[in-house]
Amino acid sequence: MKDREEVMENVATHEDWKSCFSEVAPGLLLFARQWTRSAADAEDIVQEAFVKFWRRNHNVDNRALLYATVRSIALDFIRRDRRRARREANVFAETESTIEPHFELEDETQSALAAAVDSLPHDQREVLVLKIWNELTFAEIASALGISQNTAASRYRYALAGLKKSLQPQ
Amino acid sequence: MSDFSELENELKKLRPARPSPVLFARVEEAMVNSESAKIIRPDRFRVNYAALGLGLAAAAVLLLLAKVNTDLRQGPSKSIVQNSPAPKTRSLLPAGRGIEGSRSSDKFIPAGATQVVYNTRDEGLQFTNRSEQPLRRLRYQTKETWRWRNPATGASLRVSYPSEEVVFIPVSGQ
Repeated sequence: MKDREEVMENVATHEDWKSCFSEVAPGLLLFARQWTRSAADAEDIVQEAFVKFWRRNHNVDNRALLYATVRSIALDFIRRDRRRARREANVFAETESTIEPHFELEDETQSALAAAVDSLPHDQREVLVLKIWNELTFAEIASALGISQNTAASRYRYALAGLKKSLQPQ
Repeated sequence: MSDFSELENELKKLRPARPSPVLFARVEEAMVNSESAKIIRPDRFRVNYAALGLGLAAAAVLLLLAKVNTDLRQGPSKSIVQNSPAPKTRSLLPAGRGIEGSRSSDKFIPAGATQVVYNTRDEGLQFTNRSEQPLRRLRYQTKETWRWRNPATGASLRVSYPSEEVVFIPVSGQ
């Protein structure tokens, strides 16, 4: 992760999209999964977003736009088929707490932590995913999500507090 | 924030699932063949422009017809004014109606135009073909009404048509 800035420079200069994509794809996919419960749909979104970002933003030197693109396409994806979105929303409501986490889990502790992340409110989880696994600054998160930096920081703190509370032994 | 540092470290140890190898192949294919990459095309945007154009064209035709009609009627009226002796003409006209009144009776003058926005929809961020930054797409559905009135006869003409307008507002990133 130390070379993330360098990698994103490559994104902007078209030097090596494969290394860029392999670096950012897991985080992008995790971000996209928030709007769709299907991994295939999330991959469709990431593919479209990354290709669009690559082709249209030659001189973009900020990561916020890449994540904003993913978010935009994800929301558009939902709008394309409202009935499907409603169906998915119902599924979300019914299975929110039982969805498998989208991490490579190594032990029970990590499973519990991933489940706790999944049970966070959507707006908090969105910020957490961008901050922890995509390493965006609050300024970048604010830009990507169209919120203020204070709101981004506040949601992040609420997310951590929520996780801490849910992981405390009863 | 220091209270959460341990928790943050635990979270960072969680590794997001890797994408499937198929995704890499699909992205590569899309990169190679730019035509195959999916682009959101604002199809409805074009269709609505066509509808808007038709509405405006219809209004323009009605305006032209109204203008031609008034011009045709004004021709003979002018010759009467030029050739007839004024006192005679005046004596033949009904009381309270002069020559000027007969000329203005054929004229429709614009009486007003209204545009009522009855629905606004935020359709999210979009990329158009020519833009390199995301644009927020707003769709306005309106009803436009044009009115003309003949002050002499009191007759009025009104044309109404629905229209849609799509506005793109650039969204700047940091």
